[in-house]
Amino acid sequence: MIAAATGPRRGRVSPYRLALWIYAGVFYVLLYAPLVMIVVLSFNDSETIGFPFRRFTADWYAKVFKTPEFLTALAHSLAVGVLAAVISTALALFLAMGFRHEFRFKGALFNLVLAPIVMPGIVGGIMLLMFFGYLGVPPSLWTTVLIAHVDWVLPFAFLTLYPRLHRFDRAVEEAAMDLGARPIEVFWHVVLPIVRPAIIATLLFSFSLSFDEFVRTLFVTGYDRTIPVMFWSMIVEQLTPDLPAMAVIIMLISATTSLIGLVVSRRTRDDAHPATDR
Amino acid sequence: MAADTGHVSLTLPTAATGAARRRARRTAFLMLSPGLIWLAVFVLVPFGFAIAMSFWTSTIFGTTPAFQFGNYAQALATPFYRNLLVKTLWVSFVTTLISLAISYPIAYLLATLRGTAKTGFVLLLFLPFWTSYVVRTFVWLPILGTTGAINQFLLYLGLIDHPIGWLLYDSGAVYIGLIYVYTLFMTLPIYLSIDKIDPRLIEAAADLGARPFWIFWRVILPLSWPGVLSGSLMVFLLSVSAYVTPQLLGGTSGILYSNMIAIQYISTNNWAFGAALSVVLFGVVLLLLIVFGRWIGLQQVVSGGRR
Repeated sequence: MIAAATGPRRGRVSPYRLALWIYAGVFYVLLYAPLVMIVVLSFNDSETIGFPFRRFTADWYAKVFKTPEFLTALAHSLAVGVLAAVISTALALFLAMGFRHEFRFKGALFNLVLAPIVMPGIVGGIMLLMFFGYLGVPPSLWTTVLIAHVDWVLPFAFLTLYPRLHRFDRAVEEAAMDLGARPIEVFWHVVLPIVRPAIIATLLFSFSLSFDEFVRTLFVTGYDRTIPVMFWSMIVEQLTPDLPAMAVIIMLISATTSLIGLVVSRRTRDDAHPATDR
Repeated sequence: MAADTGHVSLTLPTAATGAARRRARRTAFLMLSPGLIWLAVFVLVPFGFAIAMSFWTSTIFGTTPAFQFGNYAQALATPFYRNLLVKTLWVSFVTTLISLAISYPIAYLLATLRGTAKTGFVLLLFLPFWTSYVVRTFVWLPILGTTGAINQFLLYLGLIDHPIGWLLYDSGAVYIGLIYVYTLFMTLPIYLSIDKIDPRLIEAAADLGARPFWIFWRVILPLSWPGVLSGSLMVFLLSVSAYVTPQLLGGTSGILYSNMIAIQYISTNNWAFGAALSVVLFGVVLLLLIVFGRWIGLQQVVSGGRR
């Protein structure tokens, strides 16, 4: 918005502006260099991760897709990601609709919903580890991991849906009510169609957040490893030459879902949420 | 309802709105309950249990509910654990300052762009942060390691005879990793706050004869303050809680508070003490949010400065 006032007026680039552009160039190069390097290394026909670049090969990708641990973890991550996204988005949608009304302790409850974002990841993980440990619930994908993921994703899903529902014109709903529609009918035939793009975008962002979640999962995972946990145990153990290829595949999956989410949410003119990570 | 038979026409609408309000409140309650029940059962109760457990006693035979303050005494009074907390706060503080210095010019430039250039550069900024942070931390291993890209390059140039060992597994690598992984959380809110500034304010300042530096210093900088505050808080909170970056890049000298908590569960099995450390860490985070809550709300912090 401030472009109009600060942009060059006489068609000449000021030295300040030039310096700013050079700085931005360095910034973007440094931002992307490590990622570009890992892509280059993923095609390097070498038994060690690193330079010099010997020969182009796609063998590491072929190897990754033949690694059973990777495929199992991928299946786990996709499954838990879809379910966590659906549960979080559903809970967040109802929360967002409820928070449009006025009631007592609204502010405190609002902060409670956002609290998991500021809770350190390790605390979010170990509290579930101890809690379920004492309840006698063994750690597994469909119990502890799913719960940890919904804990983490829910506030973000809420943050993407709430502004959309807040701007929503209540008169439309009231009109439907006045015409005799029951609350469930209002929800199904009025609210849902209007916020559908926002819901789809939230589902995609939620999936991406769940897919990349690591710290909480690390402490509540049993034998069912997710992709980040599997990748972590591999890099901690030994730097094998197929790791860059695996890294590229993992990056592609989460970046693609977020990108589609952004495109969908753009149609609703909502700002996208950066995937927070801890 | 009021037994005011003489004014039926007046009391009826009130009764109707009263009923409607009650119905609305019931609807709100019904809609909130699934989410709030989830948060109560799977966040509040487990954390409450962790608080209770932080007063228990852990031995090699397990953790028993024997009430004591020993865990907190150990966490806060022992120099080793106290120093680690101070170090974690210091590392987070420096990371925040460097991120701020790096991010501000970029945020400013992005806010002054228009059209496709703006969309393109903002998207380019987002894209890396949409990918797994474990992966984004991992990429520094083949860069900073003894056989990594930087050492290889310096060896190739003949600037060094043998690889530099201190690039990785040291505090320096932790700073690089944290800044790399968390910068967006600084850049985004500052960008949004500068982008919101009414161009007429800048024009007015210019018309009144202010030079570009003074326009920046007296108009843009003060108005971008909410973005700076929200970005700084977010980067600080993220760094204080960091586990992956110090664990992977920091070596033994670079570990931070979260890594010390993890040790209580992974190797020493001292759950009660781990719970106490966790309460201390989350306590520090909440304290910061309460202190800065005077200027900025939680919603603004976690949603990148937006209201």
